[in-house]
Amino acid sequence: MRFAIPTCAIFLLACGSDNPVTPGPGSHDLTIFGTGRVSDRYTGEIWVKGNVAYTTTWGFRSAPGNAVKIWDVLGEVPTLVDSLIVPNASTLGDVQASDDGQLLVVATEFSPGSIMIYSLANPVKPQLITRYTTALTDPGVHTAEVQRVNGRLYAFLCIDPSSVSPARLVIVDLTDPAVPTQVFTAVMGSPYVHDVFVRDGILITALWNQGITIWDIGGAGAGTVANPIALGSVITVGGQAHNVWWFHNAVTGEKRYAFVGEEGHGAIGVSASGDIHVVDVSNFASPREVAFFHVDGAGTHNFSVDENRGILYAAYYNGGVRAIDITGDLSSCADADKSQDGRCDLAKMNRELAHGPNGVGPVYIWGVQLVGLRVYASDMLNGIWKLGPASFPPD
Amino acid sequence: MQFTRSNKLDCRFGGIPGSFTAVQMLFWLPVLAWLLPMIANAQVSQHSSAVLEVGAQAIGVVTRESPAIQGRALTEGYVTQPAIMAELDPWNGLFSLKGTLNLEGATLKRGELNAGIAGEGYIDRRHPHTYLHEIVLTSAKRFGVDGVSGASITVGKGFAPFGTDDPMERPFEKYPINHHLAQILERAVAIGALRTGRLIFEGGAFNGDEPTGPGDTPNRNRYWDSWSGRITFVPWPQGEFQTSYARVKSPENPTGGGADQRKQSASIRLEDSQHSGYALFEWARTGDYVGSARTFAFTSLLAETWARYDRLNGALRIERTERPDEQRLVDAFRTPIPATDLSIAGRSRWTIVTARAALSLVNVRAFTIEPFAEVARARVSPTLRPSGFDPRQFYGSDRIWSVSVGAKLAFGMSHMRMGRYGVATTRKPDAKMGGMKMEDM
Repeated sequence: MRFAIPTCAIFLLACGSDNPVTPGPGSHDLTIFGTGRVSDRYTGEIWVKGNVAYTTTWGFRSAPGNAVKIWDVLGEVPTLVDSLIVPNASTLGDVQASDDGQLLVVATEFSPGSIMIYSLANPVKPQLITRYTTALTDPGVHTAEVQRVNGRLYAFLCIDPSSVSPARLVIVDLTDPAVPTQVFTAVMGSPYVHDVFVRDGILITALWNQGITIWDIGGAGAGTVANPIALGSVITVGGQAHNVWWFHNAVTGEKRYAFVGEEGHGAIGVSASGDIHVVDVSNFASPREVAFFHVDGAGTHNFSVDENRGILYAAYYNGGVRAIDITGDLSSCADADKSQDGRCDLAKMNRELAHGPNGVGPVYIWGVQLVGLRVYASDMLNGIWKLGPASFPPD
Repeated sequence: MQFTRSNKLDCRFGGIPGSFTAVQMLFWLPVLAWLLPMIANAQVSQHSSAVLEVGAQAIGVVTRESPAIQGRALTEGYVTQPAIMAELDPWNGLFSLKGTLNLEGATLKRGELNAGIAGEGYIDRRHPHTYLHEIVLTSAKRFGVDGVSGASITVGKGFAPFGTDDPMERPFEKYPINHHLAQILERAVAIGALRTGRLIFEGGAFNGDEPTGPGDTPNRNRYWDSWSGRITFVPWPQGEFQTSYARVKSPENPTGGGADQRKQSASIRLEDSQHSGYALFEWARTGDYVGSARTFAFTSLLAETWARYDRLNGALRIERTERPDEQRLVDAFRTPIPATDLSIAGRSRWTIVTARAALSLVNVRAFTIEPFAEVARARVSPTLRPSGFDPRQFYGSDRIWSVSVGAKLAFGMSHMRMGRYGVATTRKPDAKMGGMKMEDM
């Protein structure tokens, strides 16, 4: 009897929860403002520009993942305005608008791999400028990072491996979006290159089991976009390095940490695995992992960082969105908060601030983006969520 | 997309010029098999004394599957399992060469409708096998008075010592969907086998990578990165019990870095002494591993039986197999090779009952024509909820019917017990069972 009551209580709590993935102690609920449902397709990545959000689609539900959903997010409940249908695509794994809001770039997979470049002259009616596809973009463009380097706009394309060709990076100059021009390509990743991060003339590539590599493409004096020069690399614990965010602390000016998402195995809808790895990149030549964040039963995917307040929003698939305090020194902690290999465990340090959406049934969060005072999340199962930000410092 | 002609008979043959028809294929294969030994000036015989044996087979079949995708039925025709087989054994087993050419790369480029099956970049269609399906050199030494004990080594390209016989030499035209759980084939293999009376021990090393197309060959840098072992107990000549285990390195990512597999199999195979009846009971499980951590497991249970009465024969198969559901290409019957990460869209459980009836029309001078009909009913359900693959949404139903009619043409030798070499199989066939060859274990 002594054990029966707590056992039953735990069982009931577990069964009664919408999501069996337990939030960290002290983690608050993220406020839900609204949701835009997508039931015909699985939802992929999200990008929000102003009052318009774009979500891509993945795989095959009752329809293939060849649609970009266009949402009006001015109100609290996202409203579907229109959809773009991309021919000859089964998954649209990435979407991003250019920093000037003029272009929308969508990555397509299987096969052919390509990027669709749209004009956003009318943000709710994107007009196709061109489809860029070459032999080197086959069999699929997994992600397309659109960034400006020394004033020129580029797309950094991570190409899937095929049975006959290894994964590679292709960099395309979008200065004339009607005539994209390849300026660099190289085989990289073991076996995948899934994503990159570009900032201040520094390129960081996520190379799966090879960890991350930091490249100078114009920010460190020697390299260019057409001739990247490797500065350093590190294999994060467990490999499977999928995505990166190099954090520039807007308050302190510190640029010490890069956050690396590990994409482990999972089953869409029910399980995921993989930690967030914190890499000290203060010395590009010798980056080193100093901390990590782990959620039992869930794994991370894409990030968005509130650099003013030092909050990392991480898509955590079946674990929802996790908001994590990334201020201060992440490399030092009490012994009790360290893993056996000496890395600081951000979860043990109670740095999880908030999580969500809660009470809505199963979710499988692919992407997240902070825009203004709202957090937007794409959910493979449900569509798009509009959430409130984490309170920080906590109320 | 190929499934636009959903309700019309679609008899295009992938990779074959339009003038080359199924009828021509069915005609030329046996002719080729008949001519080959003449060219080689060798003896073609069903008798065990033959130095060179040659055979050929092909099946012409029309399949209607409903629903095949999105609530639509498909009807398609194929020449399937076209193969030319040869075995050269000039020194009574001391050195023997066995080879099989499989021409499905020419006739089945788009794959064959086979609801639930998955592997090598195909899903819900069976993939074509590689042209050089098998070529192995075996050296066997028999010892003891029983005539079956002995030891052998085998090298070449062929089957790893794991699991049960290849479905191509079993009663049904449609493959069971556990093919990739229950057999490991088309690998560069080195196999040692030892038979002591009723026990057979086999161990082998091979390349882990699966073929990625009909013309693919095992990757040299993957040679011997995987291994398997099989123990077979033969309590009486017509019965056998086997259990086997395999560790396969990154089978679905040819360059490595993908999930590894640990495979288990156990089976009971029975056959009556008149070779007029056969039964197989099989259990197989494949676990996907990342490092030492198991990520997913897929289990299969299968029972099949076959019986012959005069010119008629019939068969029944019941299968319950779990399948990984993966992302699909624009052609929804294809999946990317390799997958883009270590995740799966879902895991579905397929329960399939297949019945077959066949009639041996011609069976003279090693020439066989066997018309047949097969009916299968599949029920599919997700084992994980929610899932990235909802069968009802994808197929339009969770029940799928398949009807196939066709005829098998065969000439000369048939491949015996495809998947075993040397002393792990008997030296020569001694009986024939309709479209199958059975042997005396």
